[in-house]
Amino acid sequence: MSNLAGKANAMTLITPIDGPVMALINKTIFFFLGTKLFSSKLKGLLTLSMIHYARWVIVSARDFPRLSQSQPAEDLDYSYMLFFSNFNGSWAQYVDSFSAAIPDGLDGLWWRNVGWPKSVPEQPFHRYVTDNQLWTSHYYSAYPMAASNDVKSAKNVKDKLRQFIRDSERDDSDAFLTRYNRLLKSLHHDLGQMAPTPIVSLAAQAVEERRRTDGRANA
Amino acid sequence: MAPVLDLHDIQGNIIKAYPRFGFCCSRNFFFRVSDGDAGRAFLSALIPTVTTAAPWVSGGAAVVDSKRPKITTNVAFTFEGLKRLGVPQASLQTFPEEFAMGMTARRDILGDDGPSAPTSWDPIWRSADPVHIFISINASNQAALEQRYQEILALSPKSGLNLLSGHRTASGVELPYQDSSAIFDNGEATSREHFGYTDGVSNPYFKGAGTDSSNVIGGGKATGKDARTAAGWAPLETGEFLLGHKDEAFEYPEAPIPNLLGDNGTYLVYRKLHQNVGSFDAYLARVGAEFPGGSEALAAKFAGRWRNGAPLTSFPTEQKANEFSARWASAKLAIGQAKTQAEREAAKRRFSALNTEFVAFDYTDDIEGTRCPVSAHARRSNPRSALEFGNKGAFAGPSSLSDRRRILRRGLPYGDSQSERKDDGEHGIIFMALCASIRRQFEFVQQQWLNYGNDFRLGNDKDPLLGNQELDEQGNADGRMVIESDPSSPTPPFFCAKLPRFVETRGGDYFFVPSLTALRMIAHGIVDPT
Amino acid sequence: MANENGNAYALTTLCPLLEVSGEDTSPAALIRDRLHRVNTGASSPMAKVPNVYFCRFLILDDVIYESKPHRLEHLQSQYLVFEASLHGQLAPYLQGMWEQAQPFVRSMWQFCVGFSEVNDAASFTAYIQKCQVETTFFFNGSTDEPLAEQLKSLYLKQEFSKFAYAHQGWSGKDLQVAFEDFIARVEPANLARPTWRAGATDLKGVVIP
Repeated sequence: MSNLAGKANAMTLITPIDGPVMALINKTIFFFLGTKLFSSKLKGLLTLSMIHYARWVIVSARDFPRLSQSQPAEDLDYSYMLFFSNFNGSWAQYVDSFSAAIPDGLDGLWWRNVGWPKSVPEQPFHRYVTDNQLWTSHYYSAYPMAASNDVKSAKNVKDKLRQFIRDSERDDSDAFLTRYNRLLKSLHHDLGQMAPTPIVSLAAQAVEERRRTDGRANA
Repeated sequence: MAPVLDLHDIQGNIIKAYPRFGFCCSRNFFFRVSDGDAGRAFLSALIPTVTTAAPWVSGGAAVVDSKRPKITTNVAFTFEGLKRLGVPQASLQTFPEEFAMGMTARRDILGDDGPSAPTSWDPIWRSADPVHIFISINASNQAALEQRYQEILALSPKSGLNLLSGHRTASGVELPYQDSSAIFDNGEATSREHFGYTDGVSNPYFKGAGTDSSNVIGGGKATGKDARTAAGWAPLETGEFLLGHKDEAFEYPEAPIPNLLGDNGTYLVYRKLHQNVGSFDAYLARVGAEFPGGSEALAAKFAGRWRNGAPLTSFPTEQKANEFSARWASAKLAIGQAKTQAEREAAKRRFSALNTEFVAFDYTDDIEGTRCPVSAHARRSNPRSALEFGNKGAFAGPSSLSDRRRILRRGLPYGDSQSERKDDGEHGIIFMALCASIRRQFEFVQQQWLNYGNDFRLGNDKDPLLGNQELDEQGNADGRMVIESDPSSPTPPFFCAKLPRFVETRGGDYFFVPSLTALRMIAHGIVDPT
Repeated sequence: MANENGNAYALTTLCPLLEVSGEDTSPAALIRDRLHRVNTGASSPMAKVPNVYFCRFLILDDVIYESKPHRLEHLQSQYLVFEASLHGQLAPYLQGMWEQAQPFVRSMWQFCVGFSEVNDAASFTAYIQKCQVETTFFFNGSTDEPLAEQLKSLYLKQEFSKFAYAHQGWSGKDLQVAFEDFIARVEPANLARPTWRAGATDLKGVVIP
């Protein structure tokens, strides 16, 4: 079991929402968040730049798939918000960054979820998240050695490199050098090389080492 | 609202950076306790000599510094030390995990691998039995240091408490203490360290920290206003550096129980950091020859400050930095040359204003890293507002991502590197960081900001001065740094390749610095969380 | 469509588990144990499936009680939660999953309600769509390019950085020749190779030459 896949961290939360009316309010908040008018509200999250992909899913009893008559129907008073994130770093390390930098944003996203303590002060927030966390049994990342910043940066390199190849086709060596130097300048913050994640968790590291020596087989 | 700190209850080394007050020599020594009674008796005898944070200036203009001690003494404990001294299990379990594990066990988090691995540490730190009690003394001269050292040894019992040897020295002899001191130049103490940089320029400023409120500039958290003025800064919350006080997250920091054990205390990270001055000089000479501006400029780009301490962001050229340094030096001279009290006060004000320029800056006008590289050491260890990446208003405060990652630095250099500039030998820095949470502050900066680059969007690139640079497949130095070039010029960025590890860990541990109240409780064996 | 953000797709499924497995252990415990034994990294069965950026599997036993004064309630079934962030359309992805990871799929979904009817890509796709829940908000903090483009980009970033470091100060003439060799080696337009291997955790095995 691990929430880590190299630099990526799978955070999964399930939190109750107090009934259908509140669920509708929460869904409305998310609706507006997705529009251009309110996209500035995401500026904090985007500047943190630590998330690959994240989603919020609000379900009530009748949304739980029921695939046969013999399967009992769900009977729930609360609606539930499922949160799935793929972010970089350990939660223990970065909870303070989220809480310090974007507390209002977090409070908006988990607007009055049952028991939500607000994201400041940090300790009750940290406890609430841990108490409502689900641990992943199998987590896969297509690029464990790439943080979200690396993926975005790589796209920039690829796009500019391809453009450079087209533009420099007929350059003489002087013109080529000038254009190449301009390319490097435009990529000066995109040339950090990637390597495996630093060891953010001794527990996860120990599990990983055991895995390697045990060599578990495919199910 | 600032707390009124009971400065008599707080150990002096937390509030004061002693070297700034002329205490340029330091001795650090460590004990192992084998008998709790003996250990506690020793502490009881020691307490009267422990230096508090009580101010050194007495009432009345005529009496200045009347309370300044000749020698300072402070004491701290490892987790195992607290246990051996009889702090009950119920209290021990309320200390943080990283403190309980000790620094050796955290080596993978800290990047203490390869030449920095515990197998290379001084013998005192490699023992199966951990260190228990840490005593640090500071004085203005070696003789005073030796005197206090002997006085303290005289207090220790014949058995039940052992002074630990195993600190390596240049001669090969292992000593029962680790000396450190300012590097002297023509008999005068400097603020230089072995690579030649002016060290200790910047330190956090927190509520209750001191009487000189101008230290908030550059030392506090950013407000978003002009960083060159006091309006640009606000003091940090006390609880980032002292337990039992409100911290930046609007709560009390996690602290041991009973609260009297933790209040007014803090944690101290002690690390002996060896410096490969030979490799450093060689790299500067070799690569500096290719670098526009030369070796001195390259050295400045590594650190984010010129070696005279002037910050790159404010003084982007060597000429400007030297001019500033000259102005600063003559302003300092003017204080001593003043003939009247009024002249002296005016000279002090001018000097103070210049002094502030060392720290009165932010990176918001230098987001691209044209002046101070994004990867530079000063910028990595304290990014100020840089992590907003120019997106004003993205975060609750401009420096929100930095405010909870600050550390108080209290170290001094050790050893000699002036007679011979080489890698071998015993010279470096006794690095000490004080903070309310070792994990959130020191360990985070060490792992995420020095030995890694993602928060700066630099991939896995490491700090050029302190990073644990890797080796390539042939076993050669493989560290890297991009130095940004001026956007208005056609010059491409400069690539520093094959950076070796300039700094290697030689030992250390995690300590708890209790208040005087807690110290008495520990000494009397009365800690009880019931 | 809230499941989409540009060309990226958020698939969230709650697949109900049968009450009994026919063995001594509950389906939930059995599947969880199987999941824990699956190889990770480049050896994960998901590494062979095209266009999945990230995915996770977990068993949802029950909702979580927030303590008094909040209400205690329970789920009537347990669910295999399969959540994936993909590029592109759902149906081709699920088809790829069936084609490349069928033994894994059959093993993990073995005790899901109604899964015994699944026997090909089409019925698997239909089954997953029945288990799908609508994403309320999908945040994309990365790109929405095809996975093959992302992996190629990562490869190019790494290789071009090495090139830049190694050719500092070269003359225009020599640089141009070296760059042509570089481009011939890394083939920027060729998504198949050379590129980064999906799921690779180590620099030693990351390049597919």
